[in-house]
Amino acid sequence: MSSASFNYIRAAELTDALARGERAGAAYLAGGTDLLPLWKASLTAPQEVIDISHLPLATITRSGDALTIGATARLSDIAAHPEVKAHYPLVCDGILASASGQVRNVATMGGNLLQRTRCPYFRDAGLACNKRDPGSGCGTRHGENRHAVLFGGSPGCVATHPSDLAVALAALDARIVVSSASGERELALSELYPLPGETTAPDSSLRPGEMITVIRMLNAARFANHATYLKIRDRASFEFAVVSVAAALRIADGAIAEARLAAGGVAPLPWRLEKSEAALIGRAPTEHAFAEAGALAIEGARPLEGNAFKIPLLRNAVIRALQTAGGQS
Amino acid sequence: MKNRTIARYEGTLKVTGQARYEGEMMPEGLLHAALVESPIACGELQSLDTSRAATLSGFATLVTHEDAASLKPSAATALIREKAIHFHGQPVALVAATTLSEAREAAKATQASIAARTALTQMGQALDQAYEPAMVGRFPASTRRGDSAKALSEAGLVVRRRYTTAVNNHHPMEPHAVVCWWEGNKVVVHTCTQAIFATRAIIAHAFEMPPVDIRVLSRYLGGGFGCKGQLWWPWMFWAMLASRKTNRPVRLELTRAQMFILVGRRQETAQDIALGFVDGRLTAIEHDVVAQTSTHAEFSDSTAVYTRFLYACPNVTTRHSLVRTNEPQPVPMRAPGTAPGTFALESAMDEAAELLGVDPLELRLDNFADRDQENGRPWSSNSLRECYRVGAERFGWAERRARSATKVGRWKIGFGMATTLYPAIRQACRARVALRADGSLLVQCGTQDMGSGTYTALGQIAADALGVPMDKITVELGDTELPDGPFSGGSQVTASIFPAVEAATAKLRAALASIATTDATSPLGGKPPEDLEFADGMIRSRSGNAGERLTDVLARAAADGLEAEGESPATDHQKLAATGMGYGAIFVEIGVDPELGEIRVRRVCGAFAAGHILNPLLAKSQYIGGLIGGIGMALHEQTATDAATGSILGKSFTDYLIPVHADMPAFDIAMIDEDDPHLPGGVKGIGMLGTAGIQAAIANAVYDAIGKRIRKLPIRIEDCL
Ligand SMILES: Cc1cc2nc3c(=O)[nH]c(=O)nc-3n(C[C@H](O)[C@H](O)[C@H](O)COP(=O)(O)OP(=O)(O)OC[C@H]3O[C@@H](n4cnc5c(N)ncnc54)[C@H](O)[C@@H]3O)c2cc1C
Ligand code: SF4
Repeated sequence: MSSASFNYIRAAELTDALARGERAGAAYLAGGTDLLPLWKASLTAPQEVIDISHLPLATITRSGDALTIGATARLSDIAAHPEVKAHYPLVCDGILASASGQVRNVATMGGNLLQRTRCPYFRDAGLACNKRDPGSGCGTRHGENRHAVLFGGSPGCVATHPSDLAVALAALDARIVVSSASGERELALSELYPLPGETTAPDSSLRPGEMITVIRMLNAARFANHATYLKIRDRASFEFAVVSVAAALRIADGAIAEARLAAGGVAPLPWRLEKSEAALIGRAPTEHAFAEAGALAIEGARPLEGNAFKIPLLRNAVIRALQTAGGQS
Repeated sequence: MKNRTIARYEGTLKVTGQARYEGEMMPEGLLHAALVESPIACGELQSLDTSRAATLSGFATLVTHEDAASLKPSAATALIREKAIHFHGQPVALVAATTLSEAREAAKATQASIAARTALTQMGQALDQAYEPAMVGRFPASTRRGDSAKALSEAGLVVRRRYTTAVNNHHPMEPHAVVCWWEGNKVVVHTCTQAIFATRAIIAHAFEMPPVDIRVLSRYLGGGFGCKGQLWWPWMFWAMLASRKTNRPVRLELTRAQMFILVGRRQETAQDIALGFVDGRLTAIEHDVVAQTSTHAEFSDSTAVYTRFLYACPNVTTRHSLVRTNEPQPVPMRAPGTAPGTFALESAMDEAAELLGVDPLELRLDNFADRDQENGRPWSSNSLRECYRVGAERFGWAERRARSATKVGRWKIGFGMATTLYPAIRQACRARVALRADGSLLVQCGTQDMGSGTYTALGQIAADALGVPMDKITVELGDTELPDGPFSGGSQVTASIFPAVEAATAKLRAALASIATTDATSPLGGKPPEDLEFADGMIRSRSGNAGERLTDVLARAAADGLEAEGESPATDHQKLAATGMGYGAIFVEIGVDPELGEIRVRRVCGAFAAGHILNPLLAKSQYIGGLIGGIGMALHEQTATDAATGSILGKSFTDYLIPVHADMPAFDIAMIDEDDPHLPGGVKGIGMLGTAGIQAAIANAVYDAIGKRIRKLPIRIEDCL
């Protein structure tokens, strides 16, 4: 058997999958749209691949104001789901801005959150990359870095998280349930993504064998009337975000009562723009307020040689997203 | 000659999967090959450790420069005979094994030890080392007509700018592949190539064998665009050596990632242009091009060549120079030279129009060249002004001032236009036609169909000449057993095959006419042969009400059918009485979101004049396909090299952006039919025309929309913010 071969197991039961998942060399396979390209490029070499796409985890339930989505639900099914469309349009927008129809038909919610960075140095086994090979260095920092982060980078890694869905979910304060053979734990989506260290850059805070089983949003339907996902890219479709912004507002009596802003393409995780959010509270949804939120969004940005353009771009994107969200009724 | 719309001859075969591409040949006992790649960009191979690879299951053989030492030295064998490493990812060995995954595994397990030298990985690092090549294609690298320096010093307006274009990578859908085997001293090579006869000749040279012992087949191509040529030969040779060593058929197919390194690219350019005007007339042009080539081979696009022709101007100086880097080798890519060259020239003309306060279209009309000033010849035909007129009218250019600078939703609208051109040339060609007793017609020519419609064009020319319906036509091409045909490149295949097929069918017509008119039992007996016409499977008299079926004529006098060959010569550039050139005017409407930097092309109108159009359907799809490639060059495509390692970054279609469906504008294509008495059948090439001009038109439209002049390609978000 060649080193590139693996055992393929189609798990029928969650407990079986979780037990296998703990073993060294195991990897979960959901839609496979990221795992298999990584494997083909020799960037990952699992010994056992546990296909979880047939587990009964693809359910969507809404009770009261809470929405619960099973981790293996397909992106296209979520985007087309009437309840999600009606009450969580931001999630649909984020999904529909992602990849292509074909990819979305197989890709899953959980897999999307755990897809690995698109950093071209990471995706080439011949190049230095701390994320792939801790301690080997970071090719991007002094190389081609148009795609790199403005926030949350370290000398060790400046890669962005590529998911659009995660940005939309972060804006809605989504939580995830993670299961393992030894039980369950629940965490905020933001806790899933650690910041990079000096010579390492883990993708997630999941422990070996842990599986995302559920994605949950509590009380997020209140943003349904004023939410938008803005994605900026070089071509009209089928490209990861250069910069993206998820904006969600609750407007009451002509004033912004609550604001949620998250940015993609600028950090190792969906980047919540808390200062901008705070500055909007209690204000009328005016150009002036939006401009201020835009200016605050870029505070603390630390560009590299090739990505300084993302600073004005992020500011303008925040303003545009707020105009769109604030202008809805 | 007729002009008719006929659907693709091979369309059904392709969409039903019956067309077999050469890489799909799966002969008995086939071995699969994989390449071992250099992990560094410059150095010398010291040794290869195959101890682990050789123990892996399925391993059959390894081929290196040592095996290639048996090949005769030439430019085509240099890379595989020598130990020098010229670029990152350069193959240092080929491994063959029973399955593809075993071959890849063994290639991975093969360790190359290489003595590294400092690599020069970016053109910008060595601009001071630029040198002048002897030729750029078939043109001199430098030319000088009049005294441009003096004219510039005396000009009323001088526009002096630098324009740059990025590396674009070749990416036909079908990756390069070969399936080959030896039959004693003979070899059969199934490979995707744009030039079967040149491939046969180079094999004959390298392996020192007579051409008759070599059969090269390339019957369907999933695109070529200029990359299925000489850069592929070294790796094809290695596969052939592996086959000879193992006495088994061997198959090598490049991976998509390898396509970024091994098959060629449109070279990066930095172009300095100076235009001098007196009263709105060009009095001087200087066009200086610096471009990248590799350390192992030389290539220069004819980037500034078309600046010598396009406008009337007494003082023109052009220069090309090259910088060698440890990067992959450039080759021609659709609209070679004209795509980057018109970007610079036609952007500069737009800048001049702005400064002169005249409409860009007017400026071009005012400076129209009514003859080839570089060679002192008339044009064979030139309908450029008609292209401008028709294009402007269909596009609505007159509304430019009113419409542009308006906003549609978030988009600021801009209009832009530019000119495209490409020379009309021909290669030598032979063709055979055989009319069989049942009235069906076989047409044979050893050229290739890159997917651009050569099967259809060949069949159509013969069908029209003999009045045989298309469904009775069989076309064979892409096999060196057939009569020598032209290579597929330079937009010249249709123009080259046309006279050869015409010559062959003329012989058949004469033979058939003679049989019919000299036979008293034929209804056509005694008619003058000039009076006959061939249509609908019949020979008819034009003057009287008489006719006879082709099958009846054949049955009487040529029961085995009739066969004829025709041939036609290449363009003799020394003896030309007139310069043949195809032209087009491209008009675009774009939208720019100035806050978010996004650019989208909304509408494109291309008006083209390229001689006589044989099949408007094929021509339209060529023009649209060309324009799409041009949009990619203008807004998306860019191959980046990591400066530190010389590695190409983002070797996949996720990273290397090309336009997708959502980027497609509305296309309006106008074809202006020309009568060109100087060219056989009046045929000019069309394949390149759409791919040039549009880049400058887009950049000019961006300026129109947001007042920002972008002098680099691709134009990206950061340029428009
Ligand atoms: C060409 C292309 C373009 C794309 N463009 C975009 C884009 O614009 N925006 C965007 O957001 N995405 C984009 N994507 C990424 C795509 O959305 C992801 O590949 C996809 O969502 C991953 O889901 P999957 O189910 O296929 O995951 P898989 O490939 O099956 O898995 C991905 C990773 O997650 C792990 N995993 C999967 N499910 C779980 C689970 N439940 N618990 C724990 N671990 C798990 C796997 O082991 C693996 O490591 C693009 C992908 C491609 C190929
Ligand atoms: S940015 Fe991160 S992922 Fe990219 S090369 Fe550096 S360490 Fe690797």
